Amino acid sequence: MNIRTLALLGALALSSSALGCKEEPTRWDTAATSTVARSADAPPVKEAGSFNKFFPADGAEGMKRVYTQEKTGFAEAKLQKDGKDVAVLSISDASGDAEALKKFEGATDKIQGYPLVTVGKNQSSLLVKGRYQVKVSSQQLDADARKVWFEKFNLSGLSSL
Amino acid sequence: MSSEPIHKILEELPSSNLTTRLLGLLDYVVPGSWENVTSWETMVKRVTGEEDQALIQRVGDRAIQLYNDPEQGYQRAVQIFNLVDSTQGLAGAAEMANKLGQSFDFLSFLGKITPKADTTQGIDAAVKFVAEMATFCYCNGLPGDSVGDFASALVAYEKEDSMRFAAWVTFDLVLPLGPDFLSKTLDVLSSATSAQLGENSRFGKIAKYLPGSDFAEKQQLLTSNLALSSAHITTFVAEKGIDQQDIFQRIKSYVEVGDNALDYVSAAIDLGTNYFEHTGIQSVSRRLISRAYGEI
Repeated sequence: MNIRTLALLGALALSSSALGCKEEPTRWDTAATSTVARSADAPPVKEAGSFNKFFPADGAEGMKRVYTQEKTGFAEAKLQKDGKDVAVLSISDASGDAEALKKFEGATDKIQGYPLVTVGKNQSSLLVKGRYQVKVSSQQLDADARKVWFEKFNLSGLSSL
Repeated sequence: MSSEPIHKILEELPSSNLTTRLLGLLDYVVPGSWENVTSWETMVKRVTGEEDQALIQRVGDRAIQLYNDPEQGYQRAVQIFNLVDSTQGLAGAAEMANKLGQSFDFLSFLGKITPKADTTQGIDAAVKFVAEMATFCYCNGLPGDSVGDFASALVAYEKEDSMRFAAWVTFDLVLPLGPDFLSKTLDVLSSATSAQLGENSRFGKIAKYLPGSDFAEKQQLLTSNLALSSAHITTFVAEKGIDQQDIFQRIKSYVEVGDNALDYVSAAIDLGTNYFEHTGIQSVSRRLISRAYGEI
């Protein structure tokens, strides 16, 4: 090994250790310094626990319903069959959340008159009263099978909240 | 924003160390439940099953933003998971644990530790369990005193949650305490003095985050929480065939522990692993992502 090779190796070692110290930018950096944005003049988001009573009943279609999250403006339950997760049901308050509401513009599919859209490949979302998003998400149920579950929510109750 | 962003916390978890290897050992208890996900993008994919990168970005971003708001409780949950597993203050434990992850030299580690008395072990196990309840409430928003809600949710545990529960049952109850783990723990709790539950113990570290106005109420919570879930715990142990000698043999075939006494191995696992914190961070990530997917 001659001196030039040694110098080259040294330079390589230096540059790679310098790289190791520097934090590489990631795709998540913008979100890392912000919180969820809502327009200031929109009605306040509903309290935790407001939505639980509008979920499908426990035992519907032979599924066990287990509530999993109950936060301000958000409620979530999962459906289980034989102890395994089948789907996630959620209701969230999109009041003032322009980004979330935008996707319903021009929706042609409807359930009980409310606009229905598909998100990605595993989720269907229904907008009640222009602000409450009712969602059925599942890696096992297809769009048609997910649609059935919207009828099991108490949508008219939710619309009068 | 006081905390580090959640995607960084998740991505800083080791992909392989003593903790992950011991959790891997428990796959026979909860088959296929747990995968050591340490990438935020992968976690978004696992939770949603989505592949569209623009959608993954929106879900991942919103989950990170939800975590950033301290009012939401997720930061507190991570803090409790962290505190309850922290071995800070125990001389040299962190350093040894670190060494252990690299060289896997269990034998030299065993020579330096003292087994815990049943009293300490019983209290530690109960504290971890009440911490599980507290983090469940901070993450899921159920009322802090809702012991009954927690007991029923426990039965429906899946993924990281079920692995953490399995590890707790195995490494904090059955392995150190044997078949009478439940009665031993409940006995210890009812007779524990406030000195034993004092500031320097695990309980002391997390007490301020637990529901209850004073120390006595918090102590009562430890007992009632465990008592209410005791049927589920004993059924779980019986159904899964979790046995003290069997688990000891499995550990022996996995890491070099020689013929050291079982209680030494048990104490070494306690000091050298952080399964609660590790799977806890994964659980919080999963819940945030699930909520973000519901809200976008």
